[in-house]
Amino acid sequence: MAMRNAYIDQFPKEARVIRAILWSSFLALTIGGTLGLIQGLHRTNVLRFIPSQDYYTVLTAHGVLLVITFTIFFLVGIFTWAVTTSLDRGVKDIRFTWGWYAIMMIGTLLVGVSILGGVVDQIPMNADVLYTFYSPFQAHPAFYVGFVLFVVGTWLAGFDWFRTWWAWKKDNPDERIPLPTFMALTTMLFWYLSSIGVAISILAFLLPWSLGIIDSVNPLLTRTLFWFFGHPVVYFWLMPAYMLWYTMLPKLSGGKLFSDPLARVVFVLFLILSTPVGIHHQYLDPGIAEGFKFIAMTNTMFLLLPSLLTAFTVVASMEHGARQRGGKGYLSWLKALPWRDPAFTGMALAGLMFAAGGFSGMINAGLSINYLVHNSWWVVGHFHLTVGTAAALTFMAASYWFIPQLTGKEIWNRSLGLVQVVLWFIGMTFMSNAMHRAGLFGMPRRTAEPQYQGFDFEPAVGTVAEIDAQVALGAALLTLSVYLFITNMVLTTIGGSTSDAIPDNTYAGTLSGPEDAPVIIDNLKLWTSIAVVLVIIAYSLPLASIIDAGGLFGPGIDPWKPSVVADPSLVLESVRGVMP
Amino acid sequence: MNIHTYEKTWLAVSMVLIVGFIATVTYGAVGPGIAMIDDDGGSIDPDTINDDERFNDPGVTHVGENEYEAAVVAQAWTYTPSEITVPANSTVTFYVTSRDVTHSFTVAGTNVNTMVVPGQISEMTVEFDEPGEYGILCNEYCGAYHHTMEGKLNVVPQDEFDLTELSTDASDEAQLGNQTTINTTVSNDMNYDLETTATLEIGDQQSLEQDVTVPAHGSETVEFAVDTTDLGTGDHDWTVTVDGHEESDTLTVTNATEGGDGDA
Ligand code: HEM
Ligand SMILES: [Cu+2]
Ligand SMILES: [Cu+2]
Repeated sequence: MAMRNAYIDQFPKEARVIRAILWSSFLALTIGGTLGLIQGLHRTNVLRFIPSQDYYTVLTAHGVLLVITFTIFFLVGIFTWAVTTSLDRGVKDIRFTWGWYAIMMIGTLLVGVSILGGVVDQIPMNADVLYTFYSPFQAHPAFYVGFVLFVVGTWLAGFDWFRTWWAWKKDNPDERIPLPTFMALTTMLFWYLSSIGVAISILAFLLPWSLGIIDSVNPLLTRTLFWFFGHPVVYFWLMPAYMLWYTMLPKLSGGKLFSDPLARVVFVLFLILSTPVGIHHQYLDPGIAEGFKFIAMTNTMFLLLPSLLTAFTVVASMEHGARQRGGKGYLSWLKALPWRDPAFTGMALAGLMFAAGGFSGMINAGLSINYLVHNSWWVVGHFHLTVGTAAALTFMAASYWFIPQLTGKEIWNRSLGLVQVVLWFIGMTFMSNAMHRAGLFGMPRRTAEPQYQGFDFEPAVGTVAEIDAQVALGAALLTLSVYLFITNMVLTTIGGSTSDAIPDNTYAGTLSGPEDAPVIIDNLKLWTSIAVVLVIIAYSLPLASIIDAGGLFGPGIDPWKPSVVADPSLVLESVRGVMP
Repeated sequence: MNIHTYEKTWLAVSMVLIVGFIATVTYGAVGPGIAMIDDDGGSIDPDTINDDERFNDPGVTHVGENEYEAAVVAQAWTYTPSEITVPANSTVTFYVTSRDVTHSFTVAGTNVNTMVVPGQISEMTVEFDEPGEYGILCNEYCGAYHHTMEGKLNVVPQDEFDLTELSTDASDEAQLGNQTTINTTVSNDMNYDLETTATLEIGDQQSLEQDVTVPAHGSETVEFAVDTTDLGTGDHDWTVTVDGHEESDTLTVTNATEGGDGDA
């Protein structure tokens, strides 16, 4: 009998860290998904069991746990796999790897506890500031410290992969960077570049302000610094999914990646273009001239290119796989794909939903159309297709392949896995479609009770009640899907028995390999420099004019601590007091 | 670099698509001259809002033929004014600022939508063609009761629209035989003078009239002298009417001998 050659056999020490990391990620997903259900039921008034003021604590936790904790933990786990597997060498020092994981965990706990303080009276903290923490909302300092620690952990993780690569390069001076490592490194480069924004925002302004060292901040400045980081973080979630579509999906479909050079071009484009677009989140912000918004829009539209190229390569690779498996015909090759494999099906469905999300994203990106949908539920519908499905469903699907690699155990129930990924697709179709529609007649996001005293929404098609019902149904199916996923993972890990049938740890080969790509593509310094120049062009003037108009520390903006909750009728009284 | 023909075709199609998008959106924005939110509104220290000429008495002002300005102050969790009325066939420039955290000023289901960031003034110009009623809501989280923050926008037919406001200063009680006055201040926020007649109806008998000219963006006080002897003792309802606007209250006339608290 042949020796098993799974990841755990090749890199047992790394497999342990990655397992711990993925468990942190899955835990965040389970809690976050449950909170999502609470939100879906509360907003639609199907079931309200928390006071509406606490809704915002729940929403803060949902946002942070899902788009920061779940996604980024998964990313660092999978990139560690990608770098070690494709360089065929372990990390330099496993203690360092545990170290950055521990820092990220401490950060998560600090953020988590300070958010929890919003609903637990015994914790004298509050961070009901949502994951965007716009000033002058002021969270407890622990929230900011935790956030910074988490990001610093990711910086160190990147360093871990870079130095593993440097060591490999010494031994292999003439070889091209293996594709998965190339993807991890380019992703980290734009992450370093963009997270400087949030680091400055927190370390120079918000943290000293929450500690009472400075007494005012400039809300437009911290907001702009947040989005300097906030859009690239979108690609940070997406890049591991792209990596899996490029390196795993072709293999799962039974074939090879269509083109290695094009995959490199795609990642280089993301490195260059991810950051100078953040102002597209501020199309409706005062204090930023129209010209800067146009620059952001143009860059954003060009960012469509790598995604369109990805769509092509992914479909072409799947077709190649299907034909290898005997698929024939113009479209009937689709039938030859391994649809019973939850890893394949989940990723393919995630890719399909991403196409829909890309479409609504183009609407968001249009400077003038954005006025109709900005901050409406349309946007929430949009990003549940992108990060909430393209990334999240790909991660869950990939876990059906990875967890056996990391544990040496077969998935407890693969059919249940298939049900799980399809259920996500169905649930998200209901929820996201209804959210998009609701946004078109103006239903706002981030709102506990979008039912107003003085007016009713007027849907062009259908009714508000029908839309609410679809959101609630979709949310229930999605949450059920999360529970099926976590059950399968837990039972695989604690119940399943070690198997010799785990496939070898490999990723997809290519039809057209790196030798077809000019060497300059691997010149990371060059692409990073171009990215820096573009960022300077896109951001230096807007930042200068924001600081010029409002000052570095703002025109005396008072902090607002969300814990000081007043009754709205009392507030109305106080308004009469302050109005002349 | 070795690129497959399919890839080249796809690349070309993608580029055309992207350039097409940019061109469409740019034309869509620049062509018809849609005004975007930008830095034209300027910045403001939130502590000085009450002293600011534009925001110390927020609301609608007439600035030109069919042109109006509307100043709005947002704060957790209300807009001042919370109800805005403008005429149809008008162009209204909104100036919105925040006293505390970031809000939005959003007319539900339309593209009238802006962030309201403390320290900044959002300026946007909107054309209203048809009469209609719209909800205003805040779509940016602004604290525990964010979901209660709403307002109303009424676009009324031009002939039902004016910017006249009344406020009255009158005593509730008077002693029989004394004179008392009912003072009505008429303010006019159009940018032309308002020439009109103010009428006071009190009790069953008296009806007084006075002509008044209220200057543009100004106010004028009309003083009605009421003779209590004609009214007799008891409660007398009164109404001041100016240009279709009314103010009413009740005057109680007491006997001179009845207690000492009626000397207001
Ligand atoms: C069980 C599955 C899920 C359900 C039922 C769900 C439900 C919801 C609902 C109803 C909202 C809207 C809240 C509002 O606008 O008032 C929301 C917001 C959000 N969701 Fe989810 N969601 C789920 C999964 C996810 C996943 C997997 C992600 C990302 C990986 C995600 C990311 C977000 C983000 C970023 C927001 C916006 C938070 C904010 O506005 O601050 N959700 N979710
Ligand atoms: Cu973005
Ligand atoms: Cu609000």
